[in-house]
Amino acid sequence: MNCELYDDLIDDYVDGIRAANSGNDGRMAAFERHLAECGRCQAVVADLTSIRTGASSLERHVPPPRLWTAIARSLDERQRQPWWQRQLGGAFSLWVPVAAAASIALLLVSGLWQPWKQAAQESHHQDVSALSPESAPVPAEQHYEQAIAGLQQLADAQNAALDPATRTVLTQNLAVIDRAINESRAALAQEPASTLAQESLLDALETKVTLLQDTVALASETGAMADDPAGTAKELNQ
Amino acid sequence: MFRFVTFPWLEGQREQPSPSSKPPGDVRTADLELAARCRAGDAGAFEELYRQHARRLFNLVVRMIGSVDDAEDLLQEVFLQAHRKLSGFRGDSALGTWLYRLTMNHCLDHLRGRQARMNRATESLDDEGSDEPMAPAPAVPAPVSRLDLERAIEMLPDGARAAFLLHDVEGFEHREIAQILGISEGTSKSQVHKARMKLRAFLSR
Repeated sequence: MNCELYDDLIDDYVDGIRAANSGNDGRMAAFERHLAECGRCQAVVADLTSIRTGASSLERHVPPPRLWTAIARSLDERQRQPWWQRQLGGAFSLWVPVAAAASIALLLVSGLWQPWKQAAQESHHQDVSALSPESAPVPAEQHYEQAIAGLQQLADAQNAALDPATRTVLTQNLAVIDRAINESRAALAQEPASTLAQESLLDALETKVTLLQDTVALASETGAMADDPAGTAKELNQ
Repeated sequence: MFRFVTFPWLEGQREQPSPSSKPPGDVRTADLELAARCRAGDAGAFEELYRQHARRLFNLVVRMIGSVDDAEDLLQEVFLQAHRKLSGFRGDSALGTWLYRLTMNHCLDHLRGRQARMNRATESLDDEGSDEPMAPAPAVPAPVSRLDLERAIEMLPDGARAAFLLHDVEGFEHREIAQILGISEGTSKSQVHKARMKLRAFLSR
Protein backbone atom coordinates (compact mmCIF):
# COMPACT_ATOMS: atom_id res chain seq x y z
CA MET A 1 0.00 0.00 0.00
CA ASN A 2 1.33 3.44 -0.89
CA CYS A 3 -0.38 5.29 1.92
CA GLU A 4 2.31 7.99 2.05
CA LEU A 5 1.35 9.14 -1.45
CA TYR A 6 -1.80 10.59 0.02
CA ASP A 7 -0.28 12.18 3.07
CA ASP A 8 -1.29 15.67 1.97
CA LEU A 9 -4.87 14.69 1.13
CA ILE A 10 -5.95 12.93 4.26
CA ASP A 11 -6.71 16.15 6.16
CA ASP A 12 -8.60 17.59 3.20
CA TYR A 13 -10.68 14.42 3.21
CA VAL A 14 -11.31 14.71 6.95
CA ASP A 15 -12.35 18.34 6.37
CA GLY A 16 -15.00 17.19 3.97
CA ILE A 17 -13.33 17.67 0.61
CA ARG A 18 -14.22 14.97 -1.89
CA ALA A 19 -13.13 14.16 -5.42
CA ALA A 20 -16.32 15.66 -6.78
CA ASN A 21 -15.37 19.11 -5.51
CA SER A 22 -11.62 19.00 -5.00
CA GLY A 23 -10.35 19.83 -8.49
CA ASN A 24 -6.88 18.40 -7.82
CA ASP A 25 -6.20 16.44 -10.98
CA GLY A 26 -7.89 13.27 -9.84
CA ARG A 27 -5.62 12.66 -6.86
CA MET A 28 -8.52 12.84 -4.45
CA ALA A 29 -10.39 10.29 -6.54
CA ALA A 30 -7.31 8.06 -6.40
CA PHE A 31 -7.14 8.52 -2.65
CA GLU A 32 -10.81 7.60 -2.29
CA ARG A 33 -10.19 4.38 -4.23
CA HIS A 34 -7.16 3.69 -2.04
CA LEU A 35 -9.13 4.42 1.10
CA ALA A 36 -11.82 1.93 0.17
CA GLU A 37 -9.21 -0.83 0.30
CA CYS A 38 -6.78 0.36 3.00
CA GLY A 39 -7.58 -0.47 6.60
CA ARG A 40 -4.78 1.71 7.98
CA CYS A 41 -5.98 4.81 6.15
CA GLN A 42 -9.55 4.08 7.16
CA ALA A 43 -8.43 4.01 10.80
CA VAL A 44 -6.52 7.29 10.44
CA VAL A 45 -9.46 9.00 8.77
CA ALA A 46 -11.84 7.73 11.45
CA ASP A 47 -9.55 8.91 14.27
CA LEU A 48 -8.87 12.33 12.75
CA THR A 49 -12.58 12.77 12.08
CA SER A 50 -13.29 12.01 15.74
CA ILE A 51 -10.65 14.52 16.82
CA ARG A 52 -12.06 17.17 14.50
CA THR A 53 -15.62 16.53 15.70
CA GLY A 54 -14.51 16.51 19.33
CA ALA A 55 -12.56 19.75 18.93
CA SER A 56 -15.49 21.57 17.39
CA SER A 57 -17.75 20.59 20.26
CA LEU A 58 -15.44 21.36 23.16
CA GLU A 59 -16.92 23.38 25.98
CA ARG A 60 -16.59 27.13 25.42
CA HIS A 61 -14.81 29.27 28.00
CA VAL A 62 -16.77 32.47 28.58
CA PRO A 63 -15.11 35.72 29.71
CA PRO A 64 -16.39 36.92 33.09
CA PRO A 65 -18.23 40.27 33.21
CA ARG A 66 -15.41 41.73 35.31
CA LEU A 67 -13.14 41.57 32.27
CA TRP A 68 -15.03 44.28 30.40
CA THR A 69 -15.33 46.25 33.64
CA ALA A 70 -11.55 46.23 34.00
CA ILE A 71 -11.01 47.20 30.37
CA ALA A 72 -13.58 50.00 30.58
CA ARG A 73 -11.92 51.34 33.73
CA SER A 74 -8.51 51.39 32.05
CA LEU A 75 -9.95 53.14 29.01
CA ASP A 76 -11.66 55.65 31.25
CA GLU A 77 -8.34 56.47 32.90
CA ARG A 78 -6.86 56.94 29.48
CA GLN A 79 -9.68 59.28 28.51
CA ARG A 80 -8.60 61.58 31.31
CA GLN A 81 -5.36 62.25 29.47
CA PRO A 82 -5.23 65.52 27.47
CA TRP A 83 -7.30 65.13 24.31
CA TRP A 84 -4.42 65.93 21.97
CA GLN A 85 -2.27 63.26 23.60
CA ARG A 86 -5.03 60.68 23.16
CA GLN A 87 -5.64 61.65 19.57
CA LEU A 88 -2.08 62.02 18.45
CA GLY A 89 0.04 59.98 20.81
CA GLY A 90 -0.57 56.49 19.51
CA ALA A 91 -0.89 57.25 15.85
CA PHE A 92 2.26 59.28 15.48
CA SER A 93 4.48 57.97 18.24
CA LEU A 94 7.07 56.64 15.81
CA TRP A 95 7.73 59.77 13.83
CA VAL A 96 6.78 62.53 16.24
CA PRO A 97 10.39 63.16 17.32
CA VAL A 98 11.49 63.51 13.69
CA ALA A 99 8.48 65.61 12.76
CA ALA A 100 8.95 67.82 15.81
CA ALA A 101 12.56 68.49 14.87
CA ALA A 102 11.51 69.26 11.31
CA SER A 103 8.78 71.56 12.59
CA ILE A 104 11.17 73.53 14.74
CA ALA A 105 13.58 73.89 11.83
CA LEU A 106 10.72 75.00 9.61
CA LEU A 107 9.64 77.60 12.12
CA LEU A 108 13.12 78.96 12.53
CA VAL A 109 13.71 79.16 8.80
CA SER A 110 10.41 80.77 8.01
CA GLY A 111 10.91 83.38 10.69
CA LEU A 112 7.41 82.86 12.00
CA TRP A 113 8.42 82.01 15.52
CA GLN A 114 9.32 85.47 16.67
CA PRO A 115 6.15 87.19 15.42
CA TRP A 116 4.04 84.46 17.03
CA LYS A 117 5.84 84.64 20.31
CA GLN A 118 5.67 88.40 20.36
CA ALA A 119 2.02 88.41 19.43
CA ALA A 120 1.18 85.77 22.00
CA GLN A 121 2.93 87.75 24.72
CA GLU A 122 1.08 90.88 23.69
CA SER A 123 -2.23 89.11 23.75
CA HIS A 124 -1.61 87.64 27.20
CA HIS A 125 -0.82 91.08 28.54
CA GLN A 126 -3.93 92.58 27.06
CA ASP A 127 -6.81 93.52 29.28
CA VAL A 128 -9.08 90.63 28.38
CA SER A 129 -12.05 92.42 29.84
CA ALA A 130 -11.98 94.64 26.79
CA LEU A 131 -12.81 91.70 24.55
CA SER A 132 -16.31 91.12 23.30
CA PRO A 133 -17.81 88.54 20.96
CA GLU A 134 -17.89 91.15 18.23
CA SER A 135 -14.32 92.25 18.80
CA ALA A 136 -11.64 91.61 16.22
CA PRO A 137 -9.48 88.52 16.69
CA VAL A 138 -6.52 88.95 19.00
CA PRO A 139 -3.18 89.45 17.20
CA ALA A 140 -1.88 86.03 18.19
CA GLU A 141 -4.96 84.42 16.74
CA GLN A 142 -4.44 86.29 13.51
CA HIS A 143 -0.88 85.07 13.28
CA TYR A 144 -1.96 81.51 13.89
CA GLU A 145 -4.68 81.84 11.27
CA GLN A 146 -2.16 83.13 8.73
CA ALA A 147 0.26 80.33 9.53
CA ILE A 148 -2.54 77.77 9.32
CA ALA A 149 -3.62 79.10 5.93
CA GLY A 150 -0.07 78.86 4.58
CA LEU A 151 0.58 75.43 6.01
CA GLN A 152 -2.81 74.20 4.82
CA GLN A 153 -1.85 75.15 1.27
CA LEU A 154 1.44 73.27 1.62
CA ALA A 155 -0.29 70.25 3.15
CA ASP A 156 -2.92 70.18 0.41
CA ALA A 157 -0.23 70.36 -2.26
CA GLN A 158 1.74 67.44 -0.77
CA ASN A 159 -1.18 65.41 0.50
CA ALA A 160 -1.04 63.03 -2.45
CA ALA A 161 2.27 61.63 -1.18
CA LEU A 162 0.51 60.16 1.84
CA ASP A 163 -1.25 56.84 1.75
CA PRO A 164 -5.07 56.99 2.03
CA ALA A 165 -5.18 55.53 5.54
CA THR A 166 -2.73 58.11 6.88
CA ARG A 167 -4.65 60.87 5.11
CA THR A 168 -7.82 59.62 6.76
CA VAL A 169 -6.21 59.69 10.21
CA LEU A 170 -4.81 63.17 9.63
CA THR A 171 -8.18 64.41 8.36
CA GLN A 172 -9.91 62.97 11.40
CA ASN A 173 -7.37 64.55 13.74
CA LEU A 174 -7.74 67.89 12.01
CA ALA A 175 -11.50 67.57 12.43
CA VAL A 176 -11.00 66.95 16.15
CA ILE A 177 -8.79 70.01 16.41
CA ASP A 178 -11.25 72.13 14.43
CA ARG A 179 -13.97 71.03 16.83
CA ALA A 180 -11.79 72.12 19.73
CA ILE A 181 -11.15 75.48 18.05
CA ASN A 182 -14.86 76.01 17.45
CA GLU A 183 -15.71 75.03 21.00
CA SER A 184 -13.06 77.39 22.35
CA ARG A 185 -14.39 80.22 20.19
CA ALA A 186 -17.92 79.53 21.39
CA ALA A 187 -16.72 79.53 25.00
CA LEU A 188 -14.85 82.78 24.40
CA ALA A 189 -17.94 84.31 22.84
CA GLN A 190 -19.96 83.46 25.91
CA GLU A 191 -17.28 84.50 28.36
CA PRO A 192 -15.01 87.05 26.69
CA ALA A 193 -13.16 87.65 29.96
CA SER A 194 -12.22 84.03 30.40
CA THR A 195 -8.47 83.64 30.30
CA LEU A 196 -8.97 79.88 30.24
CA ALA A 197 -11.10 80.07 27.09
CA GLN A 198 -8.59 82.31 25.39
CA GLU A 199 -5.65 80.07 26.28
CA SER A 200 -7.67 77.07 25.17
CA LEU A 201 -8.26 78.70 21.79
CA LEU A 202 -4.59 79.56 21.36
CA ASP A 203 -3.58 76.07 22.42
CA ALA A 204 -5.93 74.53 19.89
CA LEU A 205 -4.67 76.82 17.14
CA GLU A 206 -1.08 76.01 18.03
CA THR A 207 -1.90 72.30 17.96
CA LYS A 208 -3.38 72.71 14.49
CA VAL A 209 -0.24 74.50 13.33
CA THR A 210 1.86 71.65 14.74
CA LEU A 211 -0.27 68.97 13.11
CA LEU A 212 -0.12 70.72 9.74
CA GLN A 213 3.66 71.05 10.08
CA ASP A 214 3.83 67.35 10.90
CA THR A 215 1.65 66.59 7.90
CA VAL A 216 3.96 68.52 5.60
CA ALA A 217 7.03 66.87 7.13
CA LEU A 218 5.49 63.41 6.87
CA ALA A 219 4.43 64.01 3.26
CA SER A 220 7.97 65.07 2.41
CA GLU A 221 9.40 62.09 4.23
CA THR A 222 6.96 59.69 2.55
CA GLY A 223 7.81 61.13 -0.85
CA ALA A 224 11.50 60.63 -0.13
CA MET A 225 10.91 57.08 1.06
CA ALA A 226 8.61 56.10 -1.80
CA ASP A 227 11.12 53.46 -2.85
CA ASP A 228 10.84 51.71 0.51
CA PRO A 229 7.21 50.73 1.05
CA ALA A 230 8.32 47.82 3.24
CA GLY A 231 8.81 50.23 6.11
CA THR A 232 5.11 50.97 6.24
CA ALA A 233 4.22 47.30 6.00
CA LYS A 234 6.55 46.51 8.85
CA GLU A 235 4.84 49.02 11.08
CA LEU A 236 1.44 47.63 10.15
CA ASN A 237 2.50 44.19 11.22
CA GLN A 238 3.61 45.27 14.66
CA MET B 1 -10.79 3.51 16.57
CA PHE B 2 -12.12 5.80 19.25
CA ARG B 3 -15.01 8.13 19.68
CA PHE B 4 -15.71 11.04 21.98
CA VAL B 5 -18.04 11.01 24.89
CA THR B 6 -20.51 13.77 24.12
CA PHE B 7 -22.36 16.05 26.49
CA PRO B 8 -25.64 17.06 24.81
CA TRP B 9 -26.35 19.81 27.35
CA LEU B 10 -23.27 21.65 26.14
CA GLU B 11 -24.36 21.74 22.53
CA GLY B 12 -26.54 24.77 23.11
CA GLN B 13 -23.51 26.75 24.21
CA ARG B 14 -21.83 26.53 20.84
CA GLU B 15 -21.27 29.82 19.12
CA GLN B 16 -21.66 29.60 15.41
CA PRO B 17 -20.63 32.92 13.96
CA SER B 18 -18.50 31.59 11.13
CA PRO B 19 -15.59 33.94 10.53
CA SER B 20 -16.66 34.19 6.90
CA SER B 21 -20.42 34.11 7.34
CA LYS B 22 -20.98 37.61 5.92
CA PRO B 23 -20.04 38.81 2.46
CA PRO B 24 -16.48 40.22 2.66
CA GLY B 25 -17.50 43.65 1.37
CA ASP B 26 -20.16 44.06 4.04
CA VAL B 27 -17.78 42.90 6.76
CA ARG B 28 -15.04 45.24 5.58
CA THR B 29 -17.36 48.26 5.44
CA ALA B 30 -18.84 47.52 8.84
CA ASP B 31 -15.35 46.98 10.27
CA LEU B 32 -14.06 50.27 8.92
CA GLU B 33 -17.09 52.10 10.27
CA LEU B 34 -16.70 50.51 13.68
CA ALA B 35 -12.97 51.25 13.77
CA ALA B 36 -13.63 54.85 12.76
CA ARG B 37 -16.21 55.22 15.54
CA CYS B 38 -13.74 53.81 18.05
CA ARG B 39 -11.04 56.23 16.89
CA ALA B 40 -13.48 59.12 17.12
CA GLY B 41 -14.00 58.32 20.79
CA ASP B 42 -17.48 56.83 20.50
CA ALA B 43 -17.90 55.33 23.96
CA GLY B 44 -20.20 52.53 22.80
CA ALA B 45 -18.22 51.55 19.73
CA PHE B 46 -15.33 49.91 21.54
CA GLU B 47 -17.70 48.02 23.79
CA GLU B 48 -19.46 46.83 20.63
CA LEU B 49 -16.12 45.62 19.29
CA TYR B 50 -15.49 43.83 22.59
CA ARG B 51 -18.92 42.18 22.59
CA GLN B 52 -18.45 40.99 19.03
CA HIS B 53 -15.12 39.26 19.58
CA ALA B 54 -14.35 38.76 23.26
CA ARG B 55 -16.09 35.41 23.70
CA ARG B 56 -14.28 33.66 20.88
CA LEU B 57 -10.97 35.34 21.71
CA PHE B 58 -11.24 34.39 25.36
CA ASN B 59 -11.96 30.77 24.47
CA LEU B 60 -8.93 30.74 22.20
CA VAL B 61 -6.65 32.39 24.75
CA VAL B 62 -7.64 29.99 27.54
CA ARG B 63 -6.75 27.03 25.35
CA MET B 64 -3.59 28.64 24.06
CA ILE B 65 -2.12 29.45 27.46
CA GLY B 66 -3.97 26.93 29.59
CA SER B 67 -5.10 29.25 32.39
CA VAL B 68 -8.38 31.13 32.82
CA ASP B 69 -6.81 33.71 35.16
CA ASP B 70 -3.89 34.41 32.84
CA ALA B 71 -6.31 34.55 29.92
CA GLU B 72 -8.25 37.36 31.60
CA ASP B 73 -5.10 39.42 32.10
CA LEU B 74 -3.84 38.72 28.63
CA LEU B 75 -7.12 39.55 26.90
CA GLN B 76 -7.34 42.78 28.85
CA GLU B 77 -3.89 43.73 27.53
CA VAL B 78 -4.97 42.75 24.03
CA PHE B 79 -8.03 45.00 24.05
CA LEU B 80 -6.15 47.93 25.55
CA GLN B 81 -3.49 47.58 22.89
CA ALA B 82 -6.19 47.23 20.24
CA HIS B 83 -7.69 50.51 21.43
CA ARG B 84 -4.32 52.20 21.04
CA LYS B 85 -3.57 50.60 17.70
CA LEU B 86 -6.91 51.07 15.99
CA SER B 87 -5.48 54.08 14.19
CA GLY B 88 -3.24 51.59 12.37
CA PHE B 89 -6.16 49.43 11.22
CA ARG B 90 -6.45 50.00 7.49
CA GLY B 91 -9.07 47.43 6.57
CA ASP B 92 -6.58 45.23 4.73
CA SER B 93 -8.09 42.31 6.63
CA ALA B 94 -11.27 41.87 8.61
CA LEU B 95 -11.25 43.56 12.01
CA GLY B 96 -11.73 40.14 13.60
CA THR B 97 -8.67 38.80 11.80
CA TRP B 98 -6.70 41.85 12.94
CA LEU B 99 -7.79 41.24 16.53
CA TYR B 100 -6.95 37.53 16.31
CA ARG B 101 -3.49 38.41 15.00
CA LEU B 102 -2.95 40.79 17.90
CA THR B 103 -4.21 38.16 20.34
CA MET B 104 -2.08 35.35 18.97
CA ASN B 105 1.02 37.55 19.08
CA HIS B 106 0.30 38.21 22.76
CA CYS B 107 -0.28 34.51 23.41
CA LEU B 108 2.93 33.46 21.70
CA ASP B 109 4.90 36.14 23.56
CA HIS B 110 3.38 34.89 26.81
CA LEU B 111 4.22 31.31 25.98
CA ARG B 112 7.83 32.09 25.15
CA GLY B 113 8.24 32.75 28.86
CA ARG B 114 7.19 29.19 29.52
CA GLN B 115 9.20 27.67 26.74
CA ALA B 116 11.17 25.26 28.88
CA ARG B 117 8.05 23.61 30.25
CA MET B 118 6.46 23.51 26.83
CA ASN B 119 9.56 21.93 25.36
CA ARG B 120 9.44 19.18 27.93
CA ALA B 121 5.80 18.54 27.12
CA THR B 122 6.50 18.57 23.41
CA GLU B 123 9.34 16.11 23.80
CA SER B 124 7.07 13.68 25.54
CA LEU B 125 4.81 13.73 22.48
CA ASP B 126 7.68 13.60 20.03
CA ASP B 127 8.84 10.42 21.70
CA GLU B 128 5.65 8.79 20.55
CA GLY B 129 6.80 8.98 16.94
CA SER B 130 3.51 10.68 16.20
CA ASP B 131 4.86 12.67 13.26
CA GLU B 132 4.59 9.57 11.15
CA PRO B 133 1.23 10.17 9.51
CA MET B 134 0.70 6.71 8.18
CA ALA B 135 1.90 4.80 11.19
CA PRO B 136 -0.06 1.63 11.79
CA ALA B 137 -3.23 2.38 13.71
CA PRO B 138 -2.52 1.85 17.41
CA ALA B 139 -4.92 0.21 19.74
CA VAL B 140 -7.15 3.04 20.89
CA PRO B 141 -9.24 2.79 24.00
CA ALA B 142 -12.83 3.77 23.51
CA PRO B 143 -14.49 5.99 24.43
CA VAL B 144 -12.09 8.95 24.71
CA SER B 145 -13.36 11.85 26.75
CA ARG B 146 -13.21 15.54 25.96
CA LEU B 147 -11.11 15.96 29.06
CA ASP B 148 -8.44 13.80 27.47
CA LEU B 149 -8.65 15.87 24.32
CA GLU B 150 -8.23 19.10 26.34
CA ARG B 151 -5.15 17.67 28.03
CA ALA B 152 -3.73 16.47 24.74
CA ILE B 153 -4.25 19.90 23.14
CA GLU B 154 -2.32 21.50 26.00
CA MET B 155 0.64 19.31 25.17
CA LEU B 156 0.88 20.30 21.53
CA PRO B 157 3.75 22.51 20.40
CA ASP B 158 2.73 26.18 20.29
CA GLY B 159 2.60 26.53 16.53
CA ALA B 160 0.66 23.35 15.95
CA ARG B 161 -1.71 24.16 18.81
CA ALA B 162 -2.37 27.63 17.45
CA ALA B 163 -3.20 26.35 13.99
CA PHE B 164 -5.28 23.47 15.34
CA LEU B 165 -7.32 25.69 17.69
CA LEU B 166 -7.99 28.23 14.96
CA HIS B 167 -8.97 25.56 12.43
CA ASP B 168 -10.68 22.76 14.30
CA VAL B 169 -12.02 24.64 17.34
CA GLU B 170 -12.72 28.15 15.99
CA GLY B 171 -13.54 27.15 12.44
CA PHE B 172 -11.19 29.45 10.53
CA GLU B 173 -10.09 28.54 7.04
CA HIS B 174 -6.42 28.01 6.25
CA ARG B 175 -6.13 31.29 4.33
CA GLU B 176 -7.46 33.14 7.40
CA ILE B 177 -5.11 31.27 9.72
CA ALA B 178 -2.26 32.21 7.41
CA GLN B 179 -3.17 35.89 7.86
CA ILE B 180 -3.58 35.59 11.62
CA LEU B 181 -0.35 33.71 12.27
CA GLY B 182 1.69 35.34 9.53
CA ILE B 183 2.46 32.02 7.84
CA SER B 184 1.68 30.51 4.45
CA GLU B 185 -1.50 28.58 3.79
CA GLY B 186 0.57 25.45 3.20
CA THR B 187 2.26 25.84 6.58
CA SER B 188 -1.13 26.21 8.21
CA LYS B 189 -2.25 22.95 6.64
CA SER B 190 0.88 21.11 7.71
CA GLN B 191 0.62 22.47 11.27
CA VAL B 192 -3.00 21.30 11.57
CA HIS B 193 -1.99 17.89 10.20
CA LYS B 194 0.89 17.68 12.64
CA ALA B 195 -1.40 18.61 15.52
CA ARG B 196 -4.02 16.04 14.58
CA MET B 197 -1.48 13.25 14.25
CA LYS B 198 0.09 14.11 17.59
CA LEU B 199 -3.33 14.16 19.22
CA ARG B 200 -4.12 10.81 17.65
CA ALA B 201 -0.92 9.35 18.99
CA PHE B 202 -1.54 10.76 22.46
CA LEU B 203 -5.17 9.64 22.60
CA SER B 204 -4.23 6.19 21.40
CA ARG B 205 -2.03 5.45 24.38
